[in-house]
Amino acid sequence: MTGDRKPPAINNAAPTQASRTKLNRRKFLARTGGALAAGAFGAVPLRGWAADPINIGALYPTTGSMAQIGTGCVAAAKLAVDMVNEAGGIKSLGGARLNLIVSDVQSDTTVTRTETDRLITGNKLSAIHGCYASALTLIASEVCERAHVPIITGSSSDQLNKGRSYTFTPFARASQFAKAQLQMAKLVSDQAKVAVIFENTAFGTSTSNGLKELAPGEGVEIVMFEPYSAGFTDASPLINKVKASGANTLFSLSYLNDLILIVRTVKQVGLDIAINGGSGGFVMPDFYKNVGKAAEGLQGVAHWNHDVNEDAQKVNAEFKKRTGEFAFEYAGGLVAQTFMLADALERAASADPKKVREALSTLDVSSGYAAMAPGGKVKFGPDGKNVYGRPVGVQWQNADLASIFPKEDARAPLIKT
Amino acid sequence: MWETLAQAVINGLLIGGIYALVSIGVTLIFGVVKIVNFAQGEFVMIGMYISFFLATQFGIDPLVSLVVSMPVLFLAGVLIQHFLIRRVLGPNDMPQIFLTFALSLLLLNLSLMLFSANYRTVHTSYSDEAWHIGGLYIPLAKLIAFAVAMALSGLLWVFLHTTDLGRAMRAASQNRDVAMLMGINPNRVFAVAFGTALALAGAAGSLLMPFYSAYPFVGQVFVLMAFVAVVMGTLGNVMGALVASLMMGIAESLGIQFVGADSGLIVVFGLLLLTLAFRPSGLGARRGR
Repeated sequence: MTGDRKPPAINNAAPTQASRTKLNRRKFLARTGGALAAGAFGAVPLRGWAADPINIGALYPTTGSMAQIGTGCVAAAKLAVDMVNEAGGIKSLGGARLNLIVSDVQSDTTVTRTETDRLITGNKLSAIHGCYASALTLIASEVCERAHVPIITGSSSDQLNKGRSYTFTPFARASQFAKAQLQMAKLVSDQAKVAVIFENTAFGTSTSNGLKELAPGEGVEIVMFEPYSAGFTDASPLINKVKASGANTLFSLSYLNDLILIVRTVKQVGLDIAINGGSGGFVMPDFYKNVGKAAEGLQGVAHWNHDVNEDAQKVNAEFKKRTGEFAFEYAGGLVAQTFMLADALERAASADPKKVREALSTLDVSSGYAAMAPGGKVKFGPDGKNVYGRPVGVQWQNADLASIFPKEDARAPLIKT
Repeated sequence: MWETLAQAVINGLLIGGIYALVSIGVTLIFGVVKIVNFAQGEFVMIGMYISFFLATQFGIDPLVSLVVSMPVLFLAGVLIQHFLIRRVLGPNDMPQIFLTFALSLLLLNLSLMLFSANYRTVHTSYSDEAWHIGGLYIPLAKLIAFAVAMALSGLLWVFLHTTDLGRAMRAASQNRDVAMLMGINPNRVFAVAFGTALALAGAAGSLLMPFYSAYPFVGQVFVLMAFVAVVMGTLGNVMGALVASLMMGIAESLGIQFVGADSGLIVVFGLLLLTLAFRPSGLGARRGR
C-alpha cells in the first residue's frame, strides 16, 4: 500500500498520464480510505484507475475448499477488466476505467454475507459479480438486493431468479442442464437407457430428481436410479450394479473424488458405457489432470465453453497465457459478464448502481465479447434470466473440452467410446 | 447372481486389506501404550501426500515410495511418543484423548493450509488395469495393495512373536504393570509401538495412492472403519483387528451391492452391534477372561 504512494509506482502504472494520475490517485486515496482499510482484510483494490474509476466488486472464494476455482475466477475478472480498459474504458463516462475490487468469501456462507456487506458499505460500487458456487451467490444476491446494487453471476441455481430484481443470470439455469444431459444421452443411442447414480446429499438428490422428472418427456428410459454415500472408498460394488442394469449411458452426479473412482472403476471393469459427469468440477482443467487419459470421451454440460465463437477463443488464448490453463466455463463466462456490465455502464452513462441495474435490464446484445455465450445472444427477462441462455454439451477430447451439443453450438463431432 | 456375489466379496476383501493396516496401527497403540490415537487417519493422509509428492516431483512409483513413507512416519511416531504422548501418560485418560484429538485437528488444518483442499491423484501404468478371470475382474492396484498389506501384517506378526522387542510389546499389551516389573523398558517399547503403528498408516497411504485421491480429509474415511474394526476385533488384538477389517470390507461391499449404494455403513454397523451383542469383548477375546 505505501509503495503505491511513491512517484515511481505511479509512473510505472501509467507513464503517459503520470501527472493526471498522481492528482487523481490522491483524490482516490482520500475518498476510498475505507476500501484501503478493508484491503487489510482481503478486499484489494487493483490497478487501473484513471479519470473517476468505476468500481466493480468481485466476490470469489480465493481461500478454503473452492480456493483454486476462486483464484481462477479472479484471474478471469482481472483479464476482463484489462480488456475493457485497454479498449478505452467507458466512453460515455469520459473513458472511465473499470476498477476491480476483489473480496475473498472463503468458500463460506457466513463470510460471504459479511464480505458482501463490507464490500458494499466500504466502497462506491456500480455493480458486483460473483461468487462461483450457487450456495454463496444466493446469499450475496440477497445482500445486493437489499443494498440496491446489481449482481451478475454465472451460478446456475434456479433459485437466483426468484423474487430478485437486482440479480442477473446470463447463462443456462440448472433446470436446463438436466434437460441437455438427457438429450445428449440420445446422441449415444436411439434407445437411451440411463443409469443415474448420485450422492445422497442435497445437491445429488435435487439434481437427480430433476432428471427423473424430465426423462419421460425426452424419451429417455432410466433403468437405474441409485443414491450412494459421498466419500466412499470403493466404487466397484456400485459399478457392478450399473453393469447389471444394462444401461448404455451413466449419469454420475458426484464430486470430483467419487467421480474419479467411478471413472477408473468403469475402465477396470471394461464396461462399455458413455459417462456424463454433468457440470461443476467435471468441466474443470483439474479434472483431466486427475483422471488423465481415462477422461477422454467423457461428456458433460457447461454454461460456457471456450470454443463457442472466435471471441471466446481469443479470451481463451489470453487466459491460457496468464494462467497456463484453458478458460473454464466460469472464467470465460465471467469475461462475458464484465462486458455486459460495460455495455450497461456505457448506456447508463452513470456509475450509479440503480441506473446500471436499469441498463442491465434492457441489455440486448448479439455481438462482441458480451454476447460470447452458447446461443450468442443476451437479453434479460423480468426474472433476470437470459431469455436466450442455454447450456452447451461438451466432451473431453485430447485433454481439452470440445462443444458437441446442441447442433448449433457443436464445434466437434461426438466421439463414441 | 453368484458372479455378482463373488465380485462383491473380492471387492470387499481388497479394500479390507487397507482398513486392516489402519486398524492394526490403532489397536497396536491401544494395546501397548493404552491410548486411543484419534490422529491415525491423518497419518494415512500424510503417507499419501509423501507418495504423491515423490511421484509428481521425482517420478517415484507410489509403491516404491513405501520405503520412504514408512521410515519417515516411524520416526515421526517415535518423536511424537517421546515428546508428546509420554508427557500425558498417567492415571487420567482425558489429557491423552485431547492430545491425540488436537494432533488430528492440527494435522488436518495444517495440510489444508499447505496442500489446499484439492484432490491429488497419481497415475501409474497399473492404476486403471484389471485382471479378468471368467466373469470376474480384479483391479491390479488394489490387488497389489492387498498383497503388500497382508505381507506387512504378517511381518508384524512375526516381529511380535519371535523377537525380544516384539515379545516385550506383547507382554506390555497383556499386562503393562507386570511387564514393567519384569524389567521391560516402557519408554522404548512405547516408542517402537507408536512408530510401528504410524509406519503402518504411512504404508496404507502409499498403497492407496495408485487408486485413491489424497486430500486433507481422506484420513477420516479410513479411521472410522479402523475404529469399528478395532472394537469388533477386541481392543489391542492385532489378529482380531485384521480379521475384523477384512470382514468389514466385505460387509460394506455386500451392503452396497445388495441393500443400497448408500447403505454400506449400515451393514457394517449392524455387524458391529451383532458382534458386540453376542461377544461383548469382540471377536478376538479369549473365552473366560
